[in-house]
Formats: sequence, structure tokens, C-alpha cells
Amino acid sequence: MSSTPTGGETEKVYAVELRGITKRFPGVVANHDIDISVAPGTVHAIVGENGAGKSTLMKTLYGMHRPDEGHIFVRGQEVRLHSPSEAIKHGIGMVHQHFMLADNLTVLENVVLGAERRYGIGRRARAHIRNLSDQYGLGVDPDRLMEDLGVGDRQRVEILKVLYRGAETIILDEPTAVLVPQEVDELFDNLRELKREGLTVIFISHKLDEVLSVADEITVIRRGTTVATADPATTNARELATLMVGGALPVPELRESTVTDHVVLSLDGITVHSPEGRPVVDDIGLAIHRGEIVGIAGVEGNGQSELIEAIMGMRQVTTGRIHLEGQEITGRNTLRIREAGVGYIPEDRHRHGILLESPLWENRILGHQTKPPSVRGPWIDRTGARTDSERIVAEYDVRTPDIDVIADALSGGNQQKFIIGREMSEEPRFLVAAHPTRGVDVGAQAAIWEQLREARAAGLAVLLISADLDELIGMSDTLHVILRGRLVAQADPTDVTPEQLGSAMTGAGLADADTKTQGDSGVDGTPRTESEDGA
Amino acid sequence: MTDIGRRTVAAPIVLTLAVVVGVVATVLLDLFLLWWVALIIGVVLAFALVVVLEPFTPDESRVGADGTKEEGSPLHKLLVAPMGLVLSVCAGLLTTWVLDLQLIESVAAALGALVGSGLAFLLFHRLSAMLALSFGAVMVAGVIAVGVTAAVLSFSGIAPFQTFARMVEFGTRPDSLVQIINTSTTYYLAAVAVAIGFKMGLFNIGVDGQYRLAALLAAAVGGYLVLPPVISQIVIIATAIVVGGVWAGIAGYLKVTRGVSEVIATIMLNSIATGITAYLLSTDRLAVQISVNNIATPPIPESAWVPGIPAGFLGSQGEIYGLVFLAAAVGFLYWLVLNRTRFGFELRVTGHSQTVAEAGGVDVKKMVFLSMLLSGMIAGLVGLPQLLGHSHYYALDFPSGIGFIGIAIALLGRNHPVGIVFAALLWAFLDQSAGILPFDDIPEEIAVIAQATIVLTVVVVYEVVHRWGRRYQQQQIGKQLGRAIEVGGEAK
Repeated sequence: MSSTPTGGETEKVYAVELRGITKRFPGVVANHDIDISVAPGTVHAIVGENGAGKSTLMKTLYGMHRPDEGHIFVRGQEVRLHSPSEAIKHGIGMVHQHFMLADNLTVLENVVLGAERRYGIGRRARAHIRNLSDQYGLGVDPDRLMEDLGVGDRQRVEILKVLYRGAETIILDEPTAVLVPQEVDELFDNLRELKREGLTVIFISHKLDEVLSVADEITVIRRGTTVATADPATTNARELATLMVGGALPVPELRESTVTDHVVLSLDGITVHSPEGRPVVDDIGLAIHRGEIVGIAGVEGNGQSELIEAIMGMRQVTTGRIHLEGQEITGRNTLRIREAGVGYIPEDRHRHGILLESPLWENRILGHQTKPPSVRGPWIDRTGARTDSERIVAEYDVRTPDIDVIADALSGGNQQKFIIGREMSEEPRFLVAAHPTRGVDVGAQAAIWEQLREARAAGLAVLLISADLDELIGMSDTLHVILRGRLVAQADPTDVTPEQLGSAMTGAGLADADTKTQGDSGVDGTPRTESEDGA
Repeated sequence: MTDIGRRTVAAPIVLTLAVVVGVVATVLLDLFLLWWVALIIGVVLAFALVVVLEPFTPDESRVGADGTKEEGSPLHKLLVAPMGLVLSVCAGLLTTWVLDLQLIESVAAALGALVGSGLAFLLFHRLSAMLALSFGAVMVAGVIAVGVTAAVLSFSGIAPFQTFARMVEFGTRPDSLVQIINTSTTYYLAAVAVAIGFKMGLFNIGVDGQYRLAALLAAAVGGYLVLPPVISQIVIIATAIVVGGVWAGIAGYLKVTRGVSEVIATIMLNSIATGITAYLLSTDRLAVQISVNNIATPPIPESAWVPGIPAGFLGSQGEIYGLVFLAAAVGFLYWLVLNRTRFGFELRVTGHSQTVAEAGGVDVKKMVFLSMLLSGMIAGLVGLPQLLGHSHYYALDFPSGIGFIGIAIALLGRNHPVGIVFAALLWAFLDQSAGILPFDDIPEEIAVIAQATIVLTVVVVYEVVHRWGRRYQQQQIGKQLGRAIEVGGEAK
């Protein structure tokens, strides 16, 4: 796992060096034995799946929390970073994924806010901002009002803020997530400019083509640790994807097909608009049968979350109909949909799945608060809920001392197993499983897959959404690719490879895979949109 | 924790033994010593017995509130056990002191020892770490508040401890006790009204306006409408509930339909309520002249009063508001609905996390509206103990500002139905006992300083202790499951 830099600047002192970083959170190890060396004057990309531990690592480097083990070196000097302001003192700055800017202030005011001591708040500050903007080609006017600026400009202001504070190493956390392709190109030009001026950029992403186009060196993180360092000149997206996803996982696979021709859930021309009126889910049609797992592959943020929330009644469907075994459930509220026999494993369990501060047995009631054994009439049935929680803990192998501990005390994998046990306990007809094994350790992962297989054999229809391509390929009977809210391709899980799927997800088409456009659901029949593939 | 094979002593036997030891020791020592010294020694002996017998007591009957078997852990030794001891001694002393007002001293002491020793067993085995931490936090906060108040006093050149002694002496006089119970009845209702909102993540600042408006209209209904007894009380109370509910419901409705912050809405509604009461309370409208410089709603006929409870058992001529039972019922219902019903469950879930609630099929908007409504309905009751038990009309000098005191008390009592009882009693005690200070040329405001410091320190200390306790609990569970997690982590 040692990272031997393949760039040409090995004789120099590293701008930033991380050695053996380990960070534990209650019940989980978020990072372990991380080794990264970042050469000065380079763009160093850190890639990994969602939940691989990239953000935890960057928070460590930016002083937002301290590592349990390991050392951080900045320009060859070991440092201990207790807070972001110390990190800035050592020349490390961070641009967060979500901008931290005040709309009603000007660029100048936003930049100097909190750094008034450096160049004051007046003429000197304005001159310095102009200076920096010219020097790095950022094209930022200090006197514009922030609310007049577009996303790309805002990002440049964020970068300027970091530069203004004297940073020499800039961490960019998923900077392209919010940008359209043209803006991405502009950003990359800015990064090259920064590099030319001798600054170092750490670029976090899971979009491989972008990484390949801008980085000088790539470190791959998988499951909390660094697995490889690659030179973008000699590697390609497929190799990187393989490294990111890894080959050492338990293999998800389905045995004999249990698919029947009885449709459980049918989506018919579902379109969902974002609050701004942009379609985020665009005319999706799907039919999920008894005993079938339908997988949806896609880069995060292409409409998967919105689709799920629409099915669960948490988000309004703009047009289209959803039927559950012939019964229309479009527009029903979440409770009615759940009562109709829909289980839900949410993608973000802390946001949607579990009450961290409540004991497990109360979490058993959540989402099932209208049915026995959780309730008896208007009363909570404590005995019933507790007994059933004990059953879930035993059947789903939830590792916990007992059912009275608060959910927060359990590891993510055990929380997830409990959620799955809860969602299965009402014997649903249809299950939405979003990233069912995200942030879950290997043992729990295998157990969760086994439970999904058993439920499928018993006739459950499942909509599976995952960022883990092996999981999707291994667990799905039918596999669709979603891109910008549309189902753009259908793949046969028996012979598609993660590489092919990965390229389809980024809009490059299913390459030489067994591709067929969707005829049955009336979805846009052109899976290839090459003109939009900026890289 | 204990070996099943080992010789065990059944829990009820240990309990009986502890109680016998405690009571006998107290009664015997009472012959030679002051009653409270005897009682402390008795309860401590009982507690010691429970501790000694701990290894022999089977543990299947014990249920820690958060379920982890904590006995024997350092936290239990260092914190839970001492806290249990302190609490059981305090409970014994308090029981004796109250009973002493009625019974002869030795009997009171024996009964106090009975309570103390019984609690010694229960608390040692059942007190959960989190609860003990909460008690600890409250005690630490109390000490800090007393310290700050003492500092303020001595800076002002007033001897702090004499002042405190004076306050305690005055505050425990029989008449003061009655007054404290009556005031805290009112405070309790206000605090429960606020606590319902807090549980939901809503901040009902408008309790003040809600209860004043409700009391005024209820008083008017009672004064103008002559109905048979019982029915008239029910009508008056129902009026107050409806008015309070409607007034708070406006804020809830605005929040749900228009996204107006309930804080802003209730503040505004407070002002509007002040205006409306001023408008209605004039001789042209609802009020009549009751004295040269006071006007009020017509007095409620005696048949519509709620009779007080003669406080002879406290040695006082005064009466305790009959509606103290209403407050108790409200407290019980608050606990029951919150912890035992589906509605309460959904309310708590929404309070913890709106997104989780939504995904779990809870209609968040409905819950926001209903909890605001409920909060207002309880708020409507706040003025009634005073109205039906004492003044019998709503005059210009009807007490105001209780809604804001309710916020402080709800914070102090951690929104817990029992916690709020103690918080309300403490608050009322400080209010009452400060009444003696002007006679000694000491500014009464030191009670306010004490109240404010207690709220601040309780909120801060509790939060700190709570976080620490949660982390500790996670570590303990991590240790118990250590092996499994190590393996999982390794594989990760």
C-alpha cells in the first residue's frame, strides 16, 4: 500500500504528506493506514466511491478533526492541526462542495469576511483581490454583488477566498458536482493556472474522466484506505474504476431467476421537477415484477434520489403514474404508500432511516406506526415492538448488547441491518433499496445481499439503486442506466462488466456491451450523447 | 454479571433487609441523636447493605433505562452509586420533614427511613447512568448558581450565607409553602405548554398571550353566564382551552401554510393579545368597576369556583388551589401521550428529525399544527388556578409574564413531566423566599439572579454532561462488541 509517486518531482520536498492516517468513529473505522504524498505544484486527485472515506480524510487534513493515528507533514515539517485556522496558517485551504458565501454581500466583503486582519477591508484588500484575480486568471471583480454571480464565478470566489488567506495547497472537495460541462472546463483552466503559479491542488472526485484530464497524479481510496497511486498518462478510466470498486469484495450474485410476469410496481412516464422547475427525473417508465430485482446504475445526482422520493410519496410527481399491483399510488402520502406494502431502505440512513438518539425498539416502530405489532389502536405497543425488535436483532444478526441502546451506539452496518429487518418485517410487496450496503462492512454486506436474495425468492419486487457497480450487476435481474434523469440504456447483468456500465453511466454509451435501447417503456432511445461528454 | 451457580439472595429479600436495617437503625439512633443525623446514618447503612449484597443479587430483574449492564463499571462506581446514595438520603430527609408537620417526629423519621432505604435499593440497582448524569448535572448547576449568587451578594457587601439562611427559613414557613405550591401549579401548566412545543422542536413564546386571553374570556364566560355547579366549571375550563388553542393555532396554521416562523408569529400574537385584552377589559365592554382604581370582569359566582384544599396539614390557614389536581392530570397526560401513544411517538420523531419523520410516513405539517394547538390548549389553562381558586375575576392586575417563566422552567426541567415539577417548585420557592429580603434591606432581585444562573448553568452543564455520557455509552458498547467491530474494521 505504499504510494510511490510516479510523477517526475520525487526529489522535491512534498507539499503535503500523510503517513498512516487512521480515524475511527464509534463503531466504524473511517480511514485506516492512509499514505499520500502530494508533490508541490501539481494537481493531485483523490478518487474513491462515495463513502470510501475521502471526505473524512480531507477533514483530517484541514484540521476539522484530529486523526487517531498517523502523521501529517507540510513541506517536510510534521504538523498537528487542531482547527481549520491552523491548517490555513500552514498554507492549507479548502473549498467545500457547498459554497459558504453570503448572497447579499459583495465579492470583496465575502472574501475579507473573517480575514479582515490581513489587508484590512478597504482599498488594500480590493487591490490584493484584483492582484490575485489577475495573477491566477480568475477574472473576479471584487465589487460585484454575490447574488449576481453564477455557480462557476462563485466557485472562483471560494478559491480566491482561500488564496487570499495565503493558502499554498488548496483542497477542492467534489468541485465539479455543481458545475455544467463548460464550467468544468473553465475550472480546469483555473486549476492549471494555479499549478503554473506553483500552488498545489488536491482534487477530490469520483468522476474519473475529469480526474484523468486534469490531475498529475491520482490516489485511489477504497473502503477507507489508499489502494494505489496512478499516473493519469498511463492509466485509463476502466483501470481506475476497477481500483475504486475493488475486486476483493464478497461477490454479489443471484442464483436461478425467480422473475415472474406479474407486475408489482409500474412507473409510467414519471417526471419530477426540481424546485426551480428543471426536470430531474424525466419520463421514466419501468415495470418491476414479483421476484425481480431491478437495478439502476448512474453517477450520483442523476435523478436517482428524486425517483425514489417520488415513489415513496416524499416528492411530488409532476407527470406520470405509479401503480402498485394495479392500484394507483401516485400522489398518496408516504404513510399510505408504506401501508400499501412498500418497504424503504433509504440512501441516507441518518437523514431518513433511523433516529440516532432513540433506542432500537423505538426505531422498530418508525414507518410502521400504524400496524401491529408496533401499535394497538392509538397506543404504542411496547411489548410488541420490543419482542419484534428482539426478533430482528436475532434474525438479521444485528450486533448490539440489547434493544434498549440508542441507535447511534451501533456501527453503520448494524444500523443498516436493523433497518432492513424492520422494512422486511411487514412482508412488503415492493422494496426500494437505495445503497443498501453503503458504509457497511464486508460481513454485513454479504448478509444484506443474502437477505435481499431470500426476499426475492419469496416473491418480493425490488428497486435497487447503488453506486457499487458489482453489487448492481450481481444482484439485479434487470439493469438500467440513468443519466440526467433519463433511463438511457438497459444492460444484461449476466454479461455486462463494471467498465462497460461505468462508461454508460457517464454518457459514453455501453461501449461494446450487449446494449439495447428500451423499447418497452417509451424512454428516449439514444443512449449515446457524445457531444455532451466534455472530457 | 453474577454467576448463576453462585448462591444468590433474591431481590425482594435484599430490599426487605435494607428497609429493616434502615428503619431500625434510624429509630434506635433517633433516641440519642437529632432526627436528621439518625436518618442519614440509617439510610447510609441500608445503602451499604445493598452494595455489600450486590454480588449475590440476581440481576435478571434489573432493567437499566438504557439497557446496558452498567453495574461494576467505573462509571457506576464513581457516579451512579454515589448519586443513588445522595438521592436516597435526600428523599428520606424530605419525606420526614414533610411528614413531621403532621406526625410525631419519631414516626416521621421511621417512615422517612423506610422511603430512603427502599430508594437506596432501587436506585443502586435501577438508576441508569444517563439519569444519574442528569441528576449530577443539575446538582453541579445548582452549586454553580449558588456560588454565583453568593459572589454577587458579597460584592454588594451583603453576607451571602445569612441571606440564604433567611430565605430558606422564610421559604419553609407553612404559609410560604402553600404559596409556593399554588404558584408552582400555575408555573407547571405554563412549562408543560412550552415543553410540548420543545419536544417538537417548536418554540412557543406565545404562552403568555394565550393564557391571558384565555383567562380573560373564561372569566367573562364565568361572570356573565350563570350555570349550575360542575357544569359551569367545565364550561369555564373548556372556554380557556378553546381560546388558548385557537390563539396558538393561528401561529401553527401560519407556520404550516405560509412557513412563518412560530417564534415571530407568537411574539406578534402576544402583542395582539395584550391589545385585545386591553380593549375588552373596559367598562363599556366586558368589565365592571370593582374598586376605585381597578376594573375587572364580573366576579364569578361562588358555585363556579373550584374549592381549595385546606392546608392544615402543612400547619397553614391558607388553601391550596383545587386545580392542583388539574395540573397533575395535565402532567400525567403529557407523559402518557408523549411516551405511550402513536401520536406522541410521531411528535417525538418529528422533533428529533423532520426528514426521518417524513420518510417514516409522519405528516410533519399536521404534527406541527397539532402540537402548536395542544401547546396553546394547555397554555389556556395557566390562568385558571388563580381565576377559579383565588381572584374569581380577571382584573387589570391579573398576573402576566408567566408564559416566559414557563419557558425557563421547561428548560430547567428538561421538558420532563417530573423534572418540570421540581423546576416549578424551585422557581416558586425562590420567588416566595425572596419576599423576606426587603425587610432586611437586601435587594429582592438576587432571587432573579439565582433563577437566571440556574437556568443558564443547567442548560450548559446538562448539554456537556449529556454529550460526555453519550460518548461514554458508545465506548462501553464498542468495548462489549469490541471483537466483532475489530474484525469488521480490519476487513474494511
